[in-house]
Amino acid sequence: MKLRLLLLLAGAAALLPSAASAQLVAPVTRTVPVIASAPAVCSIQEPELQAGGQINFRGLNGNTLQIDHLVDPATLGAAGASANIKFDAVCNYPHRIRVEAQNNGLWQTSERSPTPPEGFAYAVPYSATIDWGLEHGRLDADAKVRRIAERSITVNRPTSGEINLRLEIEAGASNVQANAPLLAGFYGDTLRITLEPQ
Amino acid sequence: MKIAHLGLAALIAAGSGAASAQSTTATSGPFPVTGNVPILCTAGTLSEDNGVFAVGVLVDLSTGLLRTDLSAPPKVLHGTFCTSRSTITVAASPMVAQAFTTTPPAGFSKTVNFTATAAGWTPSPAVFTTGAATNPNAVQTRNTGFTGDITVSIGSFTTGGGPTLRMVEDPLYQGAVVVTLAAAS
Repeated sequence: MKLRLLLLLAGAAALLPSAASAQLVAPVTRTVPVIASAPAVCSIQEPELQAGGQINFRGLNGNTLQIDHLVDPATLGAAGASANIKFDAVCNYPHRIRVEAQNNGLWQTSERSPTPPEGFAYAVPYSATIDWGLEHGRLDADAKVRRIAERSITVNRPTSGEINLRLEIEAGASNVQANAPLLAGFYGDTLRITLEPQ
Repeated sequence: MKIAHLGLAALIAAGSGAASAQSTTATSGPFPVTGNVPILCTAGTLSEDNGVFAVGVLVDLSTGLLRTDLSAPPKVLHGTFCTSRSTITVAASPMVAQAFTTTPPAGFSKTVNFTATAAGWTPSPAVFTTGAATNPNAVQTRNTGFTGDITVSIGSFTTGGGPTLRMVEDPLYQGAVVVTLAAAS
């Protein structure tokens, strides 16, 4: 009886090597997930004047774009002017770009008489053409009424690169009739470009 | 193992005593007593928080580009051991946007590569970089049994496709690091 017990124990020991070889072929692993997030971001950098295509503009002074000569000295009507400005920008989600002209044209910023004399222009229309990624748009600030004018473009994809803005004043542009002489004064408008959620 | 050995010895002694009562010359045995330590490995347990590398916000909010200061605390595999020669292998998959499943537009990426390192087990750590053409140091071998901690860390984050690309918006970018410990014959 005792002998049989001992033999059984020896038999159990003989089984162990085969169990060991089974463990050898089963490597152990640990998996650690790596997680992060990228929040919605829109960003526009400071404007830069692009080389080429600049006519009758002095250049950028900070965020102010100064027209060299608003009036053609020969006709006293508006002189033609154009400039290309770029903004490095990014929006990493579907969004909307909005261009807003605060005055809908170049209007006198200085004090003016309530009833301008007939035959004189007292505001200058201009156009703002915008290229952003695959989208294009144009805002005509026609200077008919002093109000906010805006153009909004839906962009259904993340976009990065440059917002290209072309400002153009046609020669003789006027809020009354073409080539009308401009009243003396300071003229200006404020453009806003906004990248925002749809 | 020692307790089992003592038990067997007592049984053998009792057997000898019974035999001597019957005859002065009869013997039985010797009976070999063998033991075995199987070749096995265990990868231990992760003791750090919830076992996730939480990298946080990936992008610079003013530029949309991948942040250059990304990091995550390392994880430690405690109680790891191998009873014999072993190999440690580290592999990883890049962080990929989970909701943004289409091809990113021009100028954007939805992949963040990184380097995963498993150190403490072998003289040279096992290193794996996602997106790399080859990872020759991903497998390291240790010639002796060992017990100790394995420190798993990640770093060197790069934008898939190039550093000029921006990351698309997504609430969850996810990848993984896999550490494998295998007994070697």
